[in-house]
Amino acid sequence: MEVLEHFYNKIIVPIKIGPVDISITNVTLSMFAGTAVFLAILIIFASKPKTVPGKKQVVIELFINFIRRGICHNMIGKEGDKWVPLIAGVFLFILANNMIGLVPGAYTPTLNPIVPLTMALVVFLTVHITNLAKNGFRGYLRTYAPRSVPKWMLVIVVPIEIISTIAKPFSLFIRLMANMLAGHTIIFVILGLITYFRNYLVAVAAVPFALVMMLLEMFVSVIQAYVFAILSALYIGEAINPRH
Amino acid sequence: MDPKAAAFIAAGFCMGVGAIGPGIAIGNMVGKALESIARQPEAGGQINTAMFIGIAFAEAISLYALVVAFLLIFVA
Repeated sequence: MEVLEHFYNKIIVPIKIGPVDISITNVTLSMFAGTAVFLAILIIFASKPKTVPGKKQVVIELFINFIRRGICHNMIGKEGDKWVPLIAGVFLFILANNMIGLVPGAYTPTLNPIVPLTMALVVFLTVHITNLAKNGFRGYLRTYAPRSVPKWMLVIVVPIEIISTIAKPFSLFIRLMANMLAGHTIIFVILGLITYFRNYLVAVAAVPFALVMMLLEMFVSVIQAYVFAILSALYIGEAINPRH
Repeated sequence: MDPKAAAFIAAGFCMGVGAIGPGIAIGNMVGKALESIARQPEAGGQINTAMFIGIAFAEAISLYALVVAFLLIFVA
């Protein structure tokens, strides 16, 4: 039995436009399903907003307020309100993709390297374009050579800053992917012990343990979405309010 | 030794040794955060935010070890 068998892509509806392959695989199908569930929740809960919120609307308002106060105002500052849609979108998309992977038979889109890599690149481009638009070209170069650093130290500081700039999206991507990969593999391995030993007694221990790991995974899914959102906000905040 | 077996042993060591540093770091961080929340409960929200960011950075190091371990298992 292959441990990572359920991480392989399987083509379900082959579609090809010239050399570009846009087939619907189990990755895209799971992604559509997860996003559709969360979109449906949002549409049903917040379709008719009222001044005095009902029971359903309160949930959405709590979430938006959490993104606005807890993340944007803390990390970005005065201009935080403008960035609420981006951060909330990133948070919800990653949360939906993490959660859909816990449904038996579904694929976790965030453990396929290409999905978190794309998200990280979106954040990376947003940060750098914002920095360029906000501070101008000279101000942008100042991020790599802060004014508070003595001239002769620049020889050391500039390479370090450039490396850390490249490492930021990479670490965002690796963190999300590896967390999802590790957690979902552990659930699969624990349940795989039953077929490995071919003994019903193992199931008595393995199933409750897998259940506990599943609960932990739900917690980790939320934490990872939160960490991705808050780090994106942190990087955007650094671009908007430069330190020098 | 069979190179495949050596790669498996290396992967096990990589993950085990790579988890030591982040384990110490996360333990220290959460301990200090709990101490400071107990001392000043009103600042709990801000301390939590900073703690989670710190944990995310510390945890990333062990995840790099995990990626290297996977590379050793499947590529080497």
